[in-house]
Parts: sequence; structure tokens; C-alpha cells
Amino acid sequence: MLTIASLGVSYEGLRALVDVSLEVGAGEFVTIVGPNGAGKTTLLKAISGTVPSETGRITYLAQDLGARRPSERAALGIAHVPEGRRVFPSLTVMENLELGSYRRAARAGRKGALDEVLALFPILRERHRQLAGSLSGGEQQMLALGRGLMAQPDLLLLDEPSQGLGPRIVEQIFETIDRIRRERRLTILLVEQRVVEALELCDRGYVLETGRVVLAGRREALLADARVQRAYLGA
Amino acid sequence: MALAELVQYVATGLLVGGVYALMSIGLALIFGVMRVVNFAQGDFMMLGMYLTYFYAISGSVDPLLGALLTIPPFFVLGWIVHRGLLARVTGGGDPQRQMDAQLILTLGLSLVITNATTMILTPTPLGIRTGYATQAFALGPVLLNQARSYAFAMALVLAAAVYVFLTRTDLGKALRASADDPEAASYQGIDVRAMHGLAFGIGIALVAAAGGLLATYYPIEPTVAGNFIVLMFVAVVLGGLGSIPGAFVGGLVIGLVQSLTLLVLPFQLQNTGVFIVFLLVLYFRPQGLFGRRARTV
Ligand SMILES: Nc1ncnc2c1ncn2[C@@H]1O[C@H](COP(=O)(O)OP(=O)(O)OP(=O)(O)O)[C@@H](O)[C@H]1O
Ligand SMILES: [Mg+2]
Repeated sequence: MLTIASLGVSYEGLRALVDVSLEVGAGEFVTIVGPNGAGKTTLLKAISGTVPSETGRITYLAQDLGARRPSERAALGIAHVPEGRRVFPSLTVMENLELGSYRRAARAGRKGALDEVLALFPILRERHRQLAGSLSGGEQQMLALGRGLMAQPDLLLLDEPSQGLGPRIVEQIFETIDRIRRERRLTILLVEQRVVEALELCDRGYVLETGRVVLAGRREALLADARVQRAYLGA
Repeated sequence: MALAELVQYVATGLLVGGVYALMSIGLALIFGVMRVVNFAQGDFMMLGMYLTYFYAISGSVDPLLGALLTIPPFFVLGWIVHRGLLARVTGGGDPQRQMDAQLILTLGLSLVITNATTMILTPTPLGIRTGYATQAFALGPVLLNQARSYAFAMALVLAAAVYVFLTRTDLGKALRASADDPEAASYQGIDVRAMHGLAFGIGIALVAAAGGLLATYYPIEPTVAGNFIVLMFVAVVLGGLGSIPGAFVGGLVIGLVQSLTLLVLPFQLQNTGVFIVFLLVLYFRPQGLFGRRARTV
């Protein structure tokens, strides 16, 4: 579904991604783990088009994304739930959700998607008139996820949905992600620092360090890998 | 001082304040969505006055209708100015250099428009004659000039239309989302560059329409922008930078303060009160009267 070949990205000469290649098949749950500053966020932004790729190719559903603007990529069914949640603070919870299905292909299904999202996150129904900026961190993350689902996407990009949240909320968020993927066979690319939880959820994973893919494999293989165990699992 | 006199000044102030409010909304929308301070806003208002004048003399279109008819051409003009000029210096690149470029661009645009208008149309002030400009509605002892009353009513209707657009339509919500967080907006499939064009087009159309309404009671000349641009800026800052309801209230407050100043100071000093209130608000409430976050529409 998504193929990235030899992607390179630099910020004013500093190389953030070097020769990154990866693939996400339809219906797959792929996760990318790695330490701070590894380039995980940069990778998702390159897919969405909010940072320019310097080298390489990104292909989605057999189309080269290279020349497409970020809004066009979203219109193709790629929903990006960005790092730090990035809800629209001065809009209400309901308006945030409505804008999730702004893309043309999602508008017809807006009502149905809204019912599903509100069933998934009942707290959002209670808060639907409140300004998104006044929500707690956990609620904002649910809203960001809900907004992403409102797009009824084919590919969901999740950037550290656990960031800055307490353990109970994190568990709830991961459970929800697992549930939506089972129920909808959604294709998901998840970026996480919580290596254990992320690897346990996924089908396949990549380890990214200082802009390079240093390890790739299926869930069991990664969880059993000595280097992963030493660096991330505290074994 | 008689109570009736005070009510008279308050009423007059609110009437002109309604037109200031409409002008200021346009400026606030452009700033809120694009982060561009448009110094040429007053010049587009002046062009709106002239277009309304030409509608009136060449087609005997009433200026109240003429003001409405400035909206489509000025929306298109705003869109073109954005695409052709502003889009080159917004969205991407070093923010400081972009700010400088925008400043120079809108200031330059203002100079070019003023001077070109002076050359082509001469500096001679023009006026639109209407039956109602010299009539008044009498509410007991209080007299409301009819031109100003009609202009006020139309400004309110247009402001309400903008409010409904921004809060009830997908496009309006997308505009506000682009003001809040352009990057996150693009992840929803919102074309932020198109939103900038839309914001600039609407902002210019509103100030042109406000100019048309103003032309029912105010002389038209190429340098008229200078009398209003500062008032618009003060209204927008008073309301909390970029907030649309804030700019609306800010405009009303400025009309009111301007009018009440005349109770104690001569006409030439009528903006003194505006600046005093401005400084007081900045001192006690630097986030503006509405006091929300800066980056909202
Ligand atoms: N806008 C930017 N300008 C300059 N450098 C940047 C920018 N964004 C990221 N970088 C740099 O690029 C590298 C990769 O950053 P990135 O945000 O992709 O890492 P990350 O893996 O998402 O980290 P984290 O886990 O902390 O979110 C880092 O060295 C970072 O400092
Ligand atoms: Mg990151």
C-alpha cells in the first residue's frame, strides 16, 4: 500500500533521514520504534508532505506522492495523527471531529463515522461543545485519534499517541488502536517510544536510529532480538 | 450636560462604530489566518468607495446597494493579489525574513494604490448625493442620521453573515482551523494556501463594502485610507489580535470613544480619546478585550 524507497530528508544541511526504505502492506500494522531524535516524526511528515523529501520515492496505492501537496495526500486517504496531538484549540470538539472528514471522499460518511467515534470515545460526546484547547491531555489525544478516524482513512499514521499521558490513559489508547484495527482491518503505521507496547501490537516493525533503519522484522523476531532486548526492553 | 445629549453622542458613536467594525473584521480575518499585517487594507477601502461612487454616477446605483456590489469584484481582486504577490512571501521559509517581506509588500502596495489613484482620479474629493444623507430618524430628542443608520444596519448584516459562514460551514471551519494550526489543517485535507487566498479575498471584500457604506456620508479622496487604517489597527488589537468577534466589538468601541471624545475635545482631536483607551487597554489587558489566545479567528 505504501512503499518508501531510499528516502533522504535534511533540515538545513543536517541529515535527519538517510536512505530509509520501508513498506506497509494493505491491512498491516507496522510500527517504527527508536530513540529521541531518530527521525520518526520526520518520516511521517515526509509521508504526509509537510517536510520535503530530498531523495528517494514515496509511493502510495501505486501513485508517486512526490509532487503532491499535503492536503492532496490527505485527500487520498492518508490520515495523520500528529505528534503532540495538534487539535484545533479554538474550535469545539465537534468542529474538530467534523474537520476530520473534510476530505471530499469522507463527507458522505461523516454521520456514520461520527457515531462510531463517539461510541469509541464517549467522553467526546460529553464534551462536544467545549473548546478543544480546554480538554485534558488524554482527552485531546482521544480527540486527535477521533479526528483521524473521521477521515475514514485507508492508511492511518500515528505519531506517539502515548506521549505525555498517564499509564491508565495510555493503556486505553493502545486498546482502542488495537480494537479499531481488528474491527476495520485498517492499515496503520505507528511511531512509538513505548517499545514493548508498540511491538506487541504490531505485525512488523522497524528500528530507526539516527536517521537510518538499523533493524526490521516481524513482531516475534524483533521482540526476541538481542539488540532490541538490550536497548529497549531492559533485558 | 443633558442626558439626551449624552445619548445622542453614544448613538452617533455606535452608528459609525458599526462601519469601523466591518472594516476591522476584514483586517482581523487576514491577520488571523495568514499572520499578515495588511497595511494596504485602508487603500482597498478607498477603492471600494470609488467603485461605489462609479456605480452611483454611471448606473445610478444607490450606494447601499453599490457597497454590496463591491463584494464580488474585490473578492476576486483579493484572491489575485494573494496569488500573484502575497503567496510568494507566505508559507515556508525563514519567518523573520517573511515578516519583513510581507511588511514591505503591503506597505508598497498601499503607496502604489494611493498614488495611482491620485494620478488617475485626481485628489479632488468626491461625494455621493443621496436623499437620506441629510435626513434623520427622530427617537424622541435623539436624531439618528439616516445614511449612518442604514450603513450601520448593513454593516451588522454583513458581519453576521461572516459569522455564520465561519461557524456553520465546512469552509468557514476550515479557515478557522488554518488559523489555529496550518500544519494540522493540512493533515485534514485542507489546502492552506487556498484558505489564505479565501481569507484575503473575504478580508478585502469586507473592507471595500465598508468603504461603500462609508461613502454614503464621508467624502471620497485618494488619501482617505490614512484616516481609517489606524482606527482599524487599534480595533483589531483591542479585540485581541486576529479574533473576529473581538475586532467587531473593537470597532464599535472605537466609534463610541471617538464620538464621546467630542464632548470634551474639539473635532480635530477626536482620535485622542481612541489612543488613550488603546493605551489603557494595552496596559491593563494586553491580550485585548476578548482576551483569548492570540491565534484564533
Ligand atoms: N524543524 C526542524 N528543523 C531542524 N531540525 C529538525 C527539525 N525537526 C526535527 N529536526 C531534527 O531532526 C532530527 C529528527 O527529529 P524527529 O523529530 O524526526 O525525531 P523523532 O524520532 O520524532 O524524536 P522524538 O522521539 O523525540 O519525537 C532531530 O535531530 C531533530 O533535532
Ligand atoms: Mg517525534
